[in-house]
Amino acid sequence: MRRTVLWKALCHGLLTMGFAATTAFAQMGNAPKELRMLESGGPSGDSIEQAYIKPFTEKTGIRVVRESPTSTGKLQAMVQSGKITSTLVELGATNVVMARTLGLIEPLDWNAINPGPLFEEAKWPDAFGYQYFSTIMVWRKGEKPLATWADFWNVKEFPGKRALPDYPSYTLALALLADGVKPEELYPLDVDRAFASLEKIKDHVAVWWKAGAQAPQLLEDREVAYSAAWSGRIVENDKLDYTYNQGLLMLSYFVVPKGADPAAKSAAMGLLHEMSLARNQAVAAEVIPYTGASTEIEAAIDPAKASLYPTSEANKKVQALADPVWTATNAKEIEKRWQQFKLGL
Amino acid sequence: MSAPRHISANPAVAWVNRTALALSGIGVLVFLALPVVIVVPMSFSSASSLRFPPESFSLRWYAEVFGDPRWLQAMNTSLVLALLSSTLALVLGGLAAYGLVRGRFFGRMVVQSNFIAPLIIPSVVIAVGLYFALAYVGALGSFGGLLLGHTLLGVPYVVLIMSVAFRSFDIRIEQVAFTLGASWFTMFRRVLIPNLLPSTAAAWIFAFVTSFDEVVITTFISGTHETVPKRMFNELVLQVNPSITAIATLLIALSLALMGLAAHLMRRSRLATRPGS
Amino acid sequence: MSRSARSPGALRSPALWLVVPLLLVMAAGFNLPLLVMLGRSVVGAEGGFTLAHFAEVAETSVYTKVLLNTLRIAVITTGLCILLGYPLAYWLRRLPPRWQMVGLSMVVIPFWISILVRTYAWIVVLGNAGMVNRGLLGLGLVDEPVSFLYNELGVIIGTVNVLLPFLVLPLFAAMVKIDDRLLRAAETLGASPWTTFWRVFFPLSLPSLAAGAVLVFILTLGFFITPAVLGGGRVPMIANMLDLLVNQMPSWEIASAISTVLLAVTLALFVLYLRLTRLEEST
Repeated sequence: MRRTVLWKALCHGLLTMGFAATTAFAQMGNAPKELRMLESGGPSGDSIEQAYIKPFTEKTGIRVVRESPTSTGKLQAMVQSGKITSTLVELGATNVVMARTLGLIEPLDWNAINPGPLFEEAKWPDAFGYQYFSTIMVWRKGEKPLATWADFWNVKEFPGKRALPDYPSYTLALALLADGVKPEELYPLDVDRAFASLEKIKDHVAVWWKAGAQAPQLLEDREVAYSAAWSGRIVENDKLDYTYNQGLLMLSYFVVPKGADPAAKSAAMGLLHEMSLARNQAVAAEVIPYTGASTEIEAAIDPAKASLYPTSEANKKVQALADPVWTATNAKEIEKRWQQFKLGL
Repeated sequence: MSAPRHISANPAVAWVNRTALALSGIGVLVFLALPVVIVVPMSFSSASSLRFPPESFSLRWYAEVFGDPRWLQAMNTSLVLALLSSTLALVLGGLAAYGLVRGRFFGRMVVQSNFIAPLIIPSVVIAVGLYFALAYVGALGSFGGLLLGHTLLGVPYVVLIMSVAFRSFDIRIEQVAFTLGASWFTMFRRVLIPNLLPSTAAAWIFAFVTSFDEVVITTFISGTHETVPKRMFNELVLQVNPSITAIATLLIALSLALMGLAAHLMRRSRLATRPGS
Repeated sequence: MSRSARSPGALRSPALWLVVPLLLVMAAGFNLPLLVMLGRSVVGAEGGFTLAHFAEVAETSVYTKVLLNTLRIAVITTGLCILLGYPLAYWLRRLPPRWQMVGLSMVVIPFWISILVRTYAWIVVLGNAGMVNRGLLGLGLVDEPVSFLYNELGVIIGTVNVLLPFLVLPLFAAMVKIDDRLLRAAETLGASPWTTFWRVFFPLSLPSLAAGAVLVFILTLGFFITPAVLGGGRVPMIANMLDLLVNQMPSWEIASAISTVLLAVTLALFVLYLRLTRLEEST
């Protein structure tokens, strides 16, 4: 009798061990050799490759394949078709909120990411803030410099044509800053007041630009005297001058599409960990003058270049942080009013 | 020049007409060629933004293009894609155009409108539709899917141009060929196409250029395949870089070579089919 | 002119079978995916049939205004292409063959430059610091640079420049096939050069001209790079709006509804064109 019980216990034990072993093996087989991400391409993509993917692949042996460009439409297509072809997708802050509302993204595993110290706005439950950029005032070297958006609106003292972004989420905020609204009180945007403010400047705006490359081109071509522009290509352009004062600070995020493969997702958390480290972000900033969300970035970058970056101490405190939640919730309405405004130009 | 002297054939009026026509023709040609005249010298400029006339010359942009394996890969992908898709569009669309013009089946107008539809539907809508279809069959990000998309975009041009060409071709010439004993395929190959070579060439060129310039559908379904326009549009959103002028110049050189080759081949075939050879 | 099915040609030409391969490819790769996509325009949030999206498009004046604006620009572009392209094709036809090749090259070569490069080239030519303005200022003809760009004029210059070859090439191919002997016969019968042109040559070139015009019109509707860069934000066209609705919002239901309207309008025009050219058919 005891031998039978012992025999049964041994069999059970062996079977259990066998199960455990096979599941462990199976999970090891699931670990991906390759990770795919959707990002915006260009120099920004290069910065991800050099600063984050390289150390990640060295540590884990997992290859990362980048695909570009990215858009909310592509994310929706991925999720709705059921074929998640990219584990990480890059989106602007407003688009992240829209994607969240549409149920397209999953919460991140912040324990697995185990990030270095980051600014608060970069740590959303379902999105990882990886790159700051600013919309700032720019002009040709030698022209009268601006200090505030009110100056930008002041055509008498600062004559010349202007260029503004053809994106209401940026331009309405700038219009309010020009009208005297304090950066902390910017959101929720008083849309009526913003459009009233735009009425004052609209006859002097020669171009409402859509592509980031247009702004510096317009300035160099002498098409306009003053422009709002994205900081990335402006700060290293030696023909142009700028100020971060009253700049609009925004964040780009990485999200995980709903339905992504869990093994791939946990591997991706490792990549996000690399993105949180100040020393990696410093490498990225060399490729493209945007900074990551690390609070320790100031110490890692070349102090002579600190003034170039959106989140260096001096620059961050004079800017207004955009509110993507408000912008996303009201996106459809302000877009319609914006198109109406442009038709009336 | 044995035209009878007509009362109103006033030589002065005729001269004015001819000169006006020549001037307007040359004027329009200048208007068309202006971008080419600008772009080629700019590609040899050493400036880092688009300036004309260039202040100093250098080959740095060509070095940048040839030195970057990604640009070379993109050019390779674009060329192969364009060649395959335009030829496919020509074959499928050319045959279909003939069927539409000479055939007598029900619903011809509907079918023809269907063939033209990819031109009318905004490409961004086609892009999303195609994305789902390819995802369903698992061909997303594949070269085959991309080829399908580009062929679909080339077909309308082929059908439109070849329909007009076939329609204006006298059917009696075809019938004569039949009575002389030719099969349909022989008639098509040796009577119809040689006579309609200009239209065929135009149709093929349109399909080729459309594929080469296509960016909207490509960004959605190409996955990691990079084509030249896709790379250009991506990068140019951030900065305007004269390396695109180098690529444009290379393409112009390539097309000149192709056209020279085509002209040479046509001359040889004309010599070969001269009576008595 | 018999269309009798008993004529030898009709018996031997496998007309229907020629159409089938393309039909199959398109049915699988285009029609089906498109029906699914356009079908979104009539599916409500809960999944039932609804016309709410179309109602929204009709009520939102912005969408209809942009659509009408786009149609207007397409008409202007087509008109200009005909005005500029017809004389060019006609003139090329009369040139000796070697010069024809040169002229044709000048029409075809711009094709090979991507539309984005060409658009930026126009900025270099027509911008405030561009060649034309520098010339005008230098010659003292104007005090300030003329605004050729960043307005509707710039967009039209850009679109006409891109689309002109689409009209000229098929037109030229068709004109070249018009037999000179027909023209000489007309002259022998006493027609003036103008009558010969207007009543013999022009009608023979009309089908190809009409096809080219339809093509140019339809293509203008789909432009989005040119209005985005050369329009300065002032010239909203429907393709830009759709790009916003598909990629940025995303509002695929509205995008589908607008696309369906666009398709209906253009198909109606195209069927009209088919009817007109059927009347011209000579055989």
